[in-house]
Amino acid sequence: MKIFALVKGTVRELASKAVLYVLAGISTFILIVAALAIGASSSDQGMTITFFGNPIGTPVPRETLSTMAGALEASLAGGLFFGVVVFGLFGTAGVIPDALEKGTVDIYLSKPIARWQLLAGKYLGSVAVIFLNIVYFIGAIWLVLGIKAGVWNTHFLLSALLMTYVFACLYAIVTFLGVVSRNMAIAIIGGFLYLFFIANPLEGREAGLYLLSGSGVYRGILDGLYYLLPQIPAMEAGAMRIVAGEGTTYVPFLQSFLSAGTLLGGAAWILYKRDF
Amino acid sequence: MLAIESESLSKTYSNGIFKPRRVAALTDFTLQVDTGQIFSLLGPNGAGKTTFIKMLLSLASPTSGRATVLGRRLPDVSVRKHVGYLPENHRYPGYLTGEQVIRYFGELAGVHPRTLAARIGPLLELVGMAQWRGMKVKRYSKGMLQRLGLAQALVNDPDVLFLDEPTDGVDPVGRKEIREILRDLKQKGKTIFLNSHLLSEVELVSDRVAVLDRGRLLKVGTVEELTTTGTAYDIGVAGDVPAAVFEEARAFVMGLTRAGDHLKAECRSSAELNRVIDLLRKHAVEITSIARVRSTLEESFISLITGEARP
Repeated sequence: MKIFALVKGTVRELASKAVLYVLAGISTFILIVAALAIGASSSDQGMTITFFGNPIGTPVPRETLSTMAGALEASLAGGLFFGVVVFGLFGTAGVIPDALEKGTVDIYLSKPIARWQLLAGKYLGSVAVIFLNIVYFIGAIWLVLGIKAGVWNTHFLLSALLMTYVFACLYAIVTFLGVVSRNMAIAIIGGFLYLFFIANPLEGREAGLYLLSGSGVYRGILDGLYYLLPQIPAMEAGAMRIVAGEGTTYVPFLQSFLSAGTLLGGAAWILYKRDF
Repeated sequence: MLAIESESLSKTYSNGIFKPRRVAALTDFTLQVDTGQIFSLLGPNGAGKTTFIKMLLSLASPTSGRATVLGRRLPDVSVRKHVGYLPENHRYPGYLTGEQVIRYFGELAGVHPRTLAARIGPLLELVGMAQWRGMKVKRYSKGMLQRLGLAQALVNDPDVLFLDEPTDGVDPVGRKEIREILRDLKQKGKTIFLNSHLLSEVELVSDRVAVLDRGRLLKVGTVEELTTTGTAYDIGVAGDVPAAVFEEARAFVMGLTRAGDHLKAECRSSAELNRVIDLLRKHAVEITSIARVRSTLEESFISLITGEARP
């Protein structure tokens, strides 16, 4: 009940921020373009997807068309994920530092709520807002492709959940940094730094960072960091494969679940011990 | 029953990372507050008043000692169901209206939705904010925010109310209204714990007062106890006091002065006062009143603080 009130309050807080409207606006623009542009035509040779009436490629059998549509959906989902990360992190990174600001945290914690509940409510509220944004875009694109091209790919719908999951794991880092620093800028910079400069090198460490030193300790540290922090690139690639209807391993999803849980647990512990 | 009790409560903060400096915010602080009282904690900036409240609300943990609120040993999250708090320099979500703020914090306080729906209107009415209930908080003035803060603190119908500078930024009419609300709450058996710099306000509403300086309790008592000097008396007289009588009376006491129809006598004992009275009556001086001279709370406070400051 109280966590739900916090989630609701956080959704309302984020609804007052312009940055998420920018994301929704971009999504809406892409949706309108997709609805107007995407179509399918059939001929004796097979079917083709059309873009503003112009066929994309040569006619293919219906089954192949589904595969092509899957690839299109995967690229749209990839683009959406980038947008969600950029705008979503900007929009939500301030939620935890704002809640912990002097004058605000005092009121929250004077109510009969535990500190972990405050953290959980704020975290889940932010993730819920991102989920709504993703569902809006993915659901609408799914409808557009279904109605106009006759392709109803249920894997694509699943990508809404996967993308939210990946964001939730990344947001655990931002939450941790937000609790430690109580500073929005540090939380944002830390999140982006991890995403663009740490996660990918760690993912490809065997072909890259390993070459810098043969030390076992050095490689152990890299491996430790890799398994301790959410594996965003591996999950992103896995999600794209699922959308395209290909098989994937769920190990990065499970490991990231554990690392996100550890980060959130650590944040809750730090919050529990802190004096306000 | 005690609403608040602290026993040898101490809090030391550590400042700095590389060269940590320890700052004692509260030292060996023992205090008892009965239920149904308006109790005020006075002290200069940095005396430890807010630290004490924060420890009672488990916003900060004590370095040593123990405390209870409504008989429950702290820290205890559940006790906060029965507590309201108006912090100093509070910040409310600017994108919410006044009514939404009360609803939001009422939900967090665990108030049943139906009770909450019925309570919001009267609460906003009580603090004089009913007509601005639909306005976004970011447009509120400081005084309006204080009133809203008071409503927020009352949303769970608390048994103990902690108010940190509740009249800060409120105009004189508003301050009077808040005083009346506090008196009304006291009548309903609520305990009010007040931190304020406005000593004249504290004097008007408080049953008991504690003075704190540099983390240490200097004095605790009723306003009367704190403001009574103990040795000076005001004697109201009608008409002239002959100069010879005045001089004779002055010899009995430590000091005697006259201002209009009043004599101020500094006595070492009540026997000295009685000698003065006997002398005045013997010379047919009409006495209209006798009262102990009281200083204002501000004078007593300053005297306590500066006295403590002396080496």
